[in-house]
Amino acid sequence: MSWCWLVRTDAVPEGAVAAAELSSGGHLSALAADRPAPSGERKIDARALDSEGEPALASLVLPPDGLTITFDDLAVSGAMGAALAAPWPHVLSTLVVDSSRFAGALTAVRNGDRGRLEADPFARIFPAEIVEIGPGLLGRTPAPTGPVIQRYGGGNPWPWDRF
Amino acid sequence: MSTSTPESGREPGKLRPGETFPDLELPDHAGNRRRLSDLVGGDPLVLTFYRGWWCPKEQSFFRRLVEFQDEVEVAYTRMVSVSVDQPEVEAAFRAGLGARWTFLSDAERRYVEILDLLETTDTIHYPYVPTAFTLYPDLTICTAWNGYWAWGRPSLEELRRDLRTITKAIRPDWEVPKQ
Repeated sequence: MSWCWLVRTDAVPEGAVAAAELSSGGHLSALAADRPAPSGERKIDARALDSEGEPALASLVLPPDGLTITFDDLAVSGAMGAALAAPWPHVLSTLVVDSSRFAGALTAVRNGDRGRLEADPFARIFPAEIVEIGPGLLGRTPAPTGPVIQRYGGGNPWPWDRF
Repeated sequence: MSTSTPESGREPGKLRPGETFPDLELPDHAGNRRRLSDLVGGDPLVLTFYRGWWCPKEQSFFRRLVEFQDEVEVAYTRMVSVSVDQPEVEAAFRAGLGARWTFLSDAERRYVEILDLLETTDTIHYPYVPTAFTLYPDLTICTAWNGYWAWGRPSLEELRRDLRTITKAIRPDWEVPKQ
């Protein structure tokens, strides 16, 4: 599985494969890819998720449902390039809707490097919220080799790096 | 599978086109342990060994590679560079260049003798002989360039030619799929 659904709700949805409480309220949860699409229809790189994962400080770029831009927009390409050039965080995944739309990003660190999050290049596309994410949701996204910023398969979030 | 030897000099080290490159395991510029076979994924790879940040020839060559990365970033191709510099030195060199690919640190010189790429004429740094390879995803060497002299390094056009050869060989849909 290369991706899961990601949803922000007040309560953890039934059947969530991973979920955590947000310091700003509500929960962020992951649902298996074979589940019906939840509200927002956002997909996240599965490697960013771990039901036993430790808490992290995150930059959460999560525009309102339905607000997207094309993934091939130069603003998205530029943000991915900037993310590759910056110190790689513990967790990073773009959030995608269907096969062609960018709908946010999740960047998280476990070393307290708030400066890395405040410089989140994806926050130039949509507003970001810096938030503490509790245990039970986030895994670790290995740094991609680079410099590729294209997605491997139309429906997959970047940085998933295999066809 | 096509492999070749360029005209730019003797083949470096023990490694020959058509042979499988050793699966290096080294820390990257951030200190994470990485394996070459994982870094290459399913894509063509441009693998460069360089003397170190201090070498003017490397600075010139890497500025060309940085220019090249704007093409590579949209072409499902990866780049990895290896030196004997410490990870933090590589991270600074990478950041100063604006490079967006992975650098591997062999500060302990684990592989210089295995690869036969020790530059014995530099008794100050004991660096790698500047060497460039293009690799297939299974780490088979397509071409090797001996960059001991600056003109021995590949031009961007030579890299493009190789990456086309490799991509054509590994992508079953190189020819446009028919309906």
